[in-house]
Amino acid sequence: MNEYVERKVTFTWSEPRSSYDVVIVGGGGHGLATAYYLATRHGITNVAVLERGYIGGGNSGRNTTVIRSNYGIPEAVRFYQRSVELYEGLEEETDRFLMHDKKGLLWLAHTEMGARAERARAEVNTAFGAKTEYVEPAQIKEICPQIDLTGNGKWPVVGASYHSGGATARHDRVVWALAEGAMNRGVHVHQRTTVTGLVKDGERVVGVATDRGTIGAGTVLSATGGWVTRLAEMAGLRLPIRSHPLQAFVTNHYELQFPSLLSSGDLLFYVSQTARGEMLMGAELDPQPSYSTRAGHPFIQSCAQRAITLLPFLRDLRVLRQWTGICDMSPDYSPIMGTTGVDGFLVTTGWGTWGFKAIPAGGEQMAELIATDETPELIAPFSLDRFARDRTLADRGSSGTH
Amino acid sequence: MAYVRTCQRPALPGVVVESQHQGGTTPPLPLDIPQKPAVETRHRFCDTVVIGGGSAGTEAADAARSEGHDVVVLDAGAGEEVIGVYPGPLVVARVQEGPSSTTLQVQPREQVIVATGASAIQPIVPGSELRGLLTPVAAQHMLDSGIDLGRSVVVGTHPTQLDLPHESGELVRFEGDARGQLVAVVLQDSDNQRRVECDTAVVSLGFTPRNALARMAGDTPVQVVGDAALEGDLPKCPPDGIFCPCSGVTMDDLEGVVERGFEELELVKRATLAGTGTCQGSTCLPYIRSFLSERGADLQPPFTARPVNRQLTLGEIASGAYDHATPRTELDAEHRRLGAHMERAGGWWRPWTYGEPDAEYWAVRSGVSVCDVGTLGKMQISGPDALRLLEWIYPTKVATLKTGRTRYVLMLDERGYVLDDGLVAKESETRYTLTFTSGGSSFAELWIRDWAEGFGLDVRILNQTASLGAINVTGPLAARLLARAGVEKLPGFAAFRRDTVCGIDCQIFRLSFTGELSYELHHPAGHSVNLWRRLIELGEDLGIRPHGLDTLLGLRLEKGHIVVGQDTDYDSTPRRIEHEWAVKLDKPDFVGREAVVRTNSVPLDRKLVGLELEPAGAEAPIQGASLYDGDRYVGYVTSSADSPVLGKAVMLGWVDVDDAGEPPPNVRVGGAAARVVAPSFYDPDNLRARAKVDVAALREAEAAGATFSASVPGPALTPTFERLEATRIVTTPEALDEALGEGNAASLQGARAMRTAADEVLVLGKVDLISIRESLRDEHCIVLEETSLAGRWIDAELAAEMLERTCAWERPGERPAFAQGTVADIPVKLWFEDDRVQFVVSNALVLDLEERLG
Amino acid sequence: MSLTLYCHHCRGKRPLSDFVYGEIPKVPDSLTDPVERDLDRGFMHDNVEGVVVERWFCHGGCHRWITVRRDTRNDTVLSPET
Repeated sequence: MNEYVERKVTFTWSEPRSSYDVVIVGGGGHGLATAYYLATRHGITNVAVLERGYIGGGNSGRNTTVIRSNYGIPEAVRFYQRSVELYEGLEEETDRFLMHDKKGLLWLAHTEMGARAERARAEVNTAFGAKTEYVEPAQIKEICPQIDLTGNGKWPVVGASYHSGGATARHDRVVWALAEGAMNRGVHVHQRTTVTGLVKDGERVVGVATDRGTIGAGTVLSATGGWVTRLAEMAGLRLPIRSHPLQAFVTNHYELQFPSLLSSGDLLFYVSQTARGEMLMGAELDPQPSYSTRAGHPFIQSCAQRAITLLPFLRDLRVLRQWTGICDMSPDYSPIMGTTGVDGFLVTTGWGTWGFKAIPAGGEQMAELIATDETPELIAPFSLDRFARDRTLADRGSSGTH
Repeated sequence: MAYVRTCQRPALPGVVVESQHQGGTTPPLPLDIPQKPAVETRHRFCDTVVIGGGSAGTEAADAARSEGHDVVVLDAGAGEEVIGVYPGPLVVARVQEGPSSTTLQVQPREQVIVATGASAIQPIVPGSELRGLLTPVAAQHMLDSGIDLGRSVVVGTHPTQLDLPHESGELVRFEGDARGQLVAVVLQDSDNQRRVECDTAVVSLGFTPRNALARMAGDTPVQVVGDAALEGDLPKCPPDGIFCPCSGVTMDDLEGVVERGFEELELVKRATLAGTGTCQGSTCLPYIRSFLSERGADLQPPFTARPVNRQLTLGEIASGAYDHATPRTELDAEHRRLGAHMERAGGWWRPWTYGEPDAEYWAVRSGVSVCDVGTLGKMQISGPDALRLLEWIYPTKVATLKTGRTRYVLMLDERGYVLDDGLVAKESETRYTLTFTSGGSSFAELWIRDWAEGFGLDVRILNQTASLGAINVTGPLAARLLARAGVEKLPGFAAFRRDTVCGIDCQIFRLSFTGELSYELHHPAGHSVNLWRRLIELGEDLGIRPHGLDTLLGLRLEKGHIVVGQDTDYDSTPRRIEHEWAVKLDKPDFVGREAVVRTNSVPLDRKLVGLELEPAGAEAPIQGASLYDGDRYVGYVTSSADSPVLGKAVMLGWVDVDDAGEPPPNVRVGGAAARVVAPSFYDPDNLRARAKVDVAALREAEAAGATFSASVPGPALTPTFERLEATRIVTTPEALDEALGEGNAASLQGARAMRTAADEVLVLGKVDLISIRESLRDEHCIVLEETSLAGRWIDAELAAEMLERTCAWERPGERPAFAQGTVADIPVKLWFEDDRVQFVVSNALVLDLEERLG
Repeated sequence: MSLTLYCHHCRGKRPLSDFVYGEIPKVPDSLTDPVERDLDRGFMHDNVEGVVVERWFCHGGCHRWITVRRDTRNDTVLSPET
């Protein structure tokens, strides 16, 4: 019997109503998490999540499943640490197998400047609740015996930060658990439903037009990943978002022997082993803004080459598949959450390459905002107006890779 | 006999075959594997690529050839397995060559034709893994070869031409013996089940077109011919069986997930993991689609097709990729010879320390020292609109700068954030030299060129970062050393002038990053080694020694000088870093002006400040150390060092400010107390940096009159390359058109001329700079000797082979020809003659290129 | 992405990795307030799902800019622009 077949999650599909208290556009992790926390923490269940494809079919189904909080600024460390903690309790809370595995994350430094940056990372992490420490090459080799500390003679490893909170989880299962949990409490999730416009009453957004009819809403939340600009345009809103492809690839599955997540800032590369035993790798964004999810050759060529530089055993493993997601990138590599200045319209966007890890905290906090009509302190720094207020959150720990 | 799985490699010599049924062991993950040589890549350009060498493929290839196309056929049967049709279009194939493989990257100019045929639909009923099952194609091969198939039957609903008994009915299961050999097949005709004993069952369920390569091509136009263009049959799903052998997923599993609401094909795939194994759905996809459509859903399109189409290793797919090459100055070998520990910093190899950091430090503070700052960004701008361009890109006033003087400048982006800092030096009203940080020069060039072009400015721009070396002579004895070196006159503080130093023509900038008397000597890079060695020899009795980057960072920190990118963030405004003095609002419009005004009007949140530990003697905290005001986190340290001359730790750091815009007067860092101070810790009045210098007196004292032999640029940096004599010319396109004519492989004064852009040419060989300047009739032209290039002539055939391995773009066919682009990921200029090719590359990267050319 | 871009200075197609991307910002005409326009130009993006005009800097060869029309839906270069 294949232990990885999903045998418990049961979806309850329904027919759309003509209106809901809350309409969430986007059936990915953030949209479904918001619905889940609205239902479970606030008893708000007159909620619809509208997904134009299948749930989790966007970035939530394409990411490399990294969960971490080892960011570079206090606001980010606090926020992602909350998410790390929520993830740790999510399997128990949803009673669903999420393949959550706290395996630690090594972030390698190859230069003296890089080593200083990793010490600085450990410092700010520790000050704000994330568990990260600086480690020397001997410790790195102990944690990850497969590593070539000489970097094939080109990129020697001089040190690293080790983030023991680093983890992975099966992305699909996170999406399904949240969807099911919301549905079980009465939330409606509608697949194959595309939002074609926003309905306004004066200046206030009061609903959405879809290809299945108009749906009224007390509040509309945009949680649409790389396509947020289209929806925001409908609200007359300009966003500091640019959509870029991010690629990844995976090997066949092998015995579970690769102990941790591994990342290199200089080489812009990261790798982990999935619960099924596949080696999962990624690198940096494509340079051009694009909505095409075609996989490219230069990416996998270069990513594989960097991988082999650090982990020579990967050379003989077989590639299985490569794919692409579309990342909504913000100017300061930090997310954008909360009010928009347009009544009735909220956003959770700018999740770039850091969205999956934030799903529980993003959902929890947006749910609180919707339920209480007040922006929670944890996400207040991530407001859309921070660019106008000269309060951007430039974060060197936000890598633009994972 | 096993049936042919769609992912199987042809059995060529060297291929090892292992039997591995579903549920077989998972291969181990090895621990200790050494590095191995890279898999070779070959780049091929053609008009048409045909994938598949069967009858349809051969026909299509012949048709294309008859139209005069250069055709490449890739046939898996011949060991050429296409792993993907990528954007480009680019067709990548793994080519088996004996026991090893190479990777072939084909770029067709016109079309891609997919002729990969169709594969037989596999049975999935219980017993489908038994030995004795064949596809119709395999059975025909065996019959034709005279192999005895024993008692054989054809089962399945798809008609065949085989001369064997056909048994009707739906498949229920196959039965086998203890050894896994087929003994019978069970079939169902309406209500009757019957058991047919047999040794061989030929299973004919129809075909699935192998069109993944076409489907993954997206909007790249791909022609599909032959069986690959078939619609594809949808086999009926049996009630039992393992329908995804790769992942071991049963019909029960499939029914289970669909019943629980996973109705979309993609959701079924993700919930069962069917189709995610090595055959990527070749076996199971027809069944899932059939299953879902039987339950009333519209027929859903197949799984998204993605590379890779055939299994290959990471080593094979990495083929053709290169490490990012880190450039080095011409003094790199000198530093290593002197025992320097080299580090990558700011995108260059730099000497971090020569082993005795204390001695390096004190040589600067109390004697004289040299530092290789050749990595600094350097640019020449000239033209009627030069000043206008500079006023635009800098928030500092440039018009008030006097000829022969320099000014510190910030460069802002449109958000008002600091991009870079450096100097502007005015040679005349229409000619300027700019400097940038080492890491910022590449961006600065594209930024400045974009604005110049956008405004249609009449300027000549030349990036001289690698062309010029720069050596900083610094310390209280610096002027004395330079007097010995034969300098006539030294520039005053914040001024510059041209002179000879040790017989080498230098642009001498007096500035001070270290806080001591300092002269930065900019010179053609080919003379760096001579200049460096001569200075060190001259200064031996003065205790001269070079200092590295680590020491330099400490020295500048004592003066409170910022390092952009370390002390500044992506969003540092001049106000935050207390550099508002470098921004003038009462000057012509500049980039970021409105943003500066806008951000000035919102409350300040934090500042970059100086910090001193007290009591003195406490150890300097690390970069990144947290700063606290009471128990409130208020910021962190960006630069930190123990100051030998001050006897205490000094830092720069970010600190939150109050409503009045002021930081707390004291903070705590790592348990120690620190005072917030103005960052100029050492010699705040700059008396040492601005010390008066009486060169004449020094020359007299040092018995100047010493002569130096002419400096000839040193030998090439590698055994196979030679150092080139060259000239760079930047002028108007019209002037170059007149001087060179059309075509980008030209000649000037009898020397080969590479027309690298409409307004720029690189001349190889000895020419007369003065007569060129005169003949161009452009008073703003830039005509400069270029000593930092290396060249290598390679026999045409060998060059073609090297380029086939290392160059991903098509080279010109005419001769002579000039082309430029990256070769092995390194910017190279190529000059093609009938029987040979010259590779021209910057000395900063020649070592890497030589290694990669092999 | 089309693997290559045509650089007319270098007179040939070159790999995309030889170039650096440059967006051409467009402030909507509907914005009239200068401060808003400045903010928009600095931070906001059209993020077009369709045909865009953009610039690429050829850092592997000529060190000059080219202008390109590209359809971001399928990442296809439509034509180089001079």
